[in-house]
Amino acid sequence: MMQMFRIDSNAAHACRHHIVSSTALETLHSVHAASQQGGKQTDLKMLSGWPVNMWLWILLTFIMPLLTSAYSEKERAQELMDRFPLIDGHNDLPLKIRVYYNNRLSQIDLQKISKAATDIYRLRAGSVQTQMFAAYVPCGAQEKDAVMLTLEQIDLVRRMCNKAQDLELVTTYDDLTNSMMKQKIACLISIEGGHSIDSSLAVLRMFYELGVRSMSLTHNCNTPWAETSTDLYGVFQRENNSLTPFGKSVVEEMNRLGMIVDLSHSSWETASAALKHSRAPVIFSHSSSHSICDNKRNVPDWLLRELEQKNGLIMVNLYSKFISCGKDANISDVADHFDHIKKIIGAKSIGIGGDFDGADSFPQGLQDVSKYPALIQELLKRNWSEQDLADVLRRNFLRVFKEVENVRDNSKHLIPSEDQIPSEKVKNLCRLDRQNPILQRSISGAKFILPNLYLMSSLLLFSSIFMNK
Amino acid sequence: MWRQVLVALCLSLWICSPDLTLAEDPYLNRAYQLMSETPLIDGHNDLPWQLRMQFNNQLNKVNLDTLETTHTNIPKIKEGRLGAQFWAAYVPCETQYKDAVRQTLEQIDVVHRMCEKYPDTFKFVTTSQGIMDAFKENKTASLIGVEGGHSIDSSLGTLRTMYQLGVRYLTLTHSCNTPWADNWRVDDGSDPIQSGGLSPFGKQLIVEMNRLGMLIDLAHVPVSVMNQTLTMSVAPVIFSHSSAYAVCRHSRNVPDEILLKVKEKKGIVMVNFYNDYVTCSQKANISDVADHFDHIKKVGGAEIIGFGGDYDGVPRTPEGLEDVSKVPNLVAELLRRGWTDEEVKAALGNNLLRVMSEVERVRTQSTNNPGLCERVKRCGKDNSDHTG
Repeated sequence: MMQMFRIDSNAAHACRHHIVSSTALETLHSVHAASQQGGKQTDLKMLSGWPVNMWLWILLTFIMPLLTSAYSEKERAQELMDRFPLIDGHNDLPLKIRVYYNNRLSQIDLQKISKAATDIYRLRAGSVQTQMFAAYVPCGAQEKDAVMLTLEQIDLVRRMCNKAQDLELVTTYDDLTNSMMKQKIACLISIEGGHSIDSSLAVLRMFYELGVRSMSLTHNCNTPWAETSTDLYGVFQRENNSLTPFGKSVVEEMNRLGMIVDLSHSSWETASAALKHSRAPVIFSHSSSHSICDNKRNVPDWLLRELEQKNGLIMVNLYSKFISCGKDANISDVADHFDHIKKIIGAKSIGIGGDFDGADSFPQGLQDVSKYPALIQELLKRNWSEQDLADVLRRNFLRVFKEVENVRDNSKHLIPSEDQIPSEKVKNLCRLDRQNPILQRSISGAKFILPNLYLMSSLLLFSSIFMNK
Repeated sequence: MWRQVLVALCLSLWICSPDLTLAEDPYLNRAYQLMSETPLIDGHNDLPWQLRMQFNNQLNKVNLDTLETTHTNIPKIKEGRLGAQFWAAYVPCETQYKDAVRQTLEQIDVVHRMCEKYPDTFKFVTTSQGIMDAFKENKTASLIGVEGGHSIDSSLGTLRTMYQLGVRYLTLTHSCNTPWADNWRVDDGSDPIQSGGLSPFGKQLIVEMNRLGMLIDLAHVPVSVMNQTLTMSVAPVIFSHSSAYAVCRHSRNVPDEILLKVKEKKGIVMVNFYNDYVTCSQKANISDVADHFDHIKKVGGAEIIGFGGDYDGVPRTPEGLEDVSKVPNLVAELLRRGWTDEEVKAALGNNLLRVMSEVERVRTQSTNNPGLCERVKRCGKDNSDHTG
């Protein structure tokens, strides 16, 4: 059968990475999460054998009052989110569309996608006004066709946000704020992992041209110039060189362009180095607190303080394994992260980066993108002020985004960076050696000698004078 | 005797003076006049490749005002009255199945940066209107063509993002087969036929290029692909740098029956100046190049002809057309051969502008008219895959 988008597999070759099956998706989840083992199962307690009127009494005495006060908090949460709808830092719907639908949007109703945790219906229900969608490609594509696959994911997000009336691709602070007034859900594009640029600043620039506004320096694999927090791939391992000179060039170019530097997935050392080097505030688009759950994907308190010093933002990841360090979690566990981070660095440094569709288990009550109000409700219960929550929901991100644009605007005197990674750092079978390319075409001596007819004719004239004598 | 010496001196001064020479060549004067009214739009120049090969794309090491090792530099562009140029984003076939996409992005990037570095000379544009706007500002309109389907790695998503980055033509192949198209070398037997022209995916690509508004470039393709594309494409197509097969029987050139189809489809053949394609030998001159113009005009009409010099992409250029500053001399030669002003202006730029406008119109229509997508089911009823 002819595959519509896909070339027949004689194009399959050593430098192509395939993401095609749902088996791959499961593998991706376990890799994407890169979590520790363990986590207890919560047993459901059995309550049987009590008389019905006893139940009624419990209901009336204890549960009804709770429900009434909970309802008003729910109302408060909804009302707050109506005024300050959420800007969420990280969502992997594009990955799901790749794996389940091969990027064929014509096969999907974006209003309701049963195979995903994200669709327009649920984004609206969750009061999500802006979603940063990740144009993620797996680490397996590094040193293969990561660049091409990333272009395909960027193209997918662009098409998706153009197709649906409810969605609108934005690339500027002004567009983002306007989209709220137009009651659209704004799409931002992020890249998840520096392997997507194949160590090329030109590629970074072209991604920016295509609308990418944020990039995580790594995913779960080291790049030749930055390090990851997880130990899954034994590639590009170095000692004491968590952000190489070229890595710093990447950060500088991102600052010049106005692309947000995202430190989720990076090692703490890489994150710290990037924080020091970046002229603009940085973010963790989907990471949580290491003090609460000691997974290496989370952020320790000392690094939170460095982040706050530079006016950055940590957008809390809701994935159970990063929340409770176990398979199960609940909303209260999530709120513990918020409480802790607020205690260490204040509410002005916090946001939300759900990571929906990028992980396979979420806390009870927060299973999909429609559930954010339940989290806000819990934080209200914990006496978070409406001002703090307005900051968490959107104002902190807007501040960071605006500042990143300001840094760009103040960089007009800088020219596009021509820094190149040393070729020995990136030699591999899928790269044509730049130092010794086969010259299909060459100008052998572009210099040319034009017969100087004028000189010759002058000489002839002169000689004719003497010959006539 | 002294009188004779004086006369001789005056004569030689007169001969050596280019300004006086100018006044004496009415055709060249007329050429300059026409080129000030209608932009010379050249279909193919490989300066970006030279920038990569000679300087590793480090523009800070290059001064285009004084560069001597290429056919193209800014003074030569000015002298040659270059109104618009499709700069080739070319990467070698050896990158196919390796890092072709990354390298192509780097070439696209270098064109953008070149235009940013010399804003008084170049204006990056992506539309036919843009070309005219730049011309009015006395700048060389700069566009991008990707030279070789291997650059998209068989990915329509990659094609679309390259369009978004400003690429306005794709040459379907360079000198290697892609998994979905054969290249010109199958016509002389140097490469095996693999797709019989275009494969089913190759045909989908044509439809997608029409929908996007990307010019389809048939330079470097075999006759089978020329025929199939000319039949299938709803929009007119181009040959960005190919000459006339009847004049020089090289497989890179365009046979007469194809010229007739191009005429029917109101496309364009932009003549390549490379000696080996002009005279089928290593030597050529302006007159030989003009023979190709004459032949294509005779067979297909003046409406299908254009200029596609291939400067900086070839090792040998004709006597009298050594670099981009010399092209007005070719225009003068055409005038000398009796080409009318209208015919010359058509060849200079009006034909390409017509083709490009029509390709843009097909794009606009396809957003509104799902019918264009009926041939390929995937377009769906809302034609929603359009990137805009």
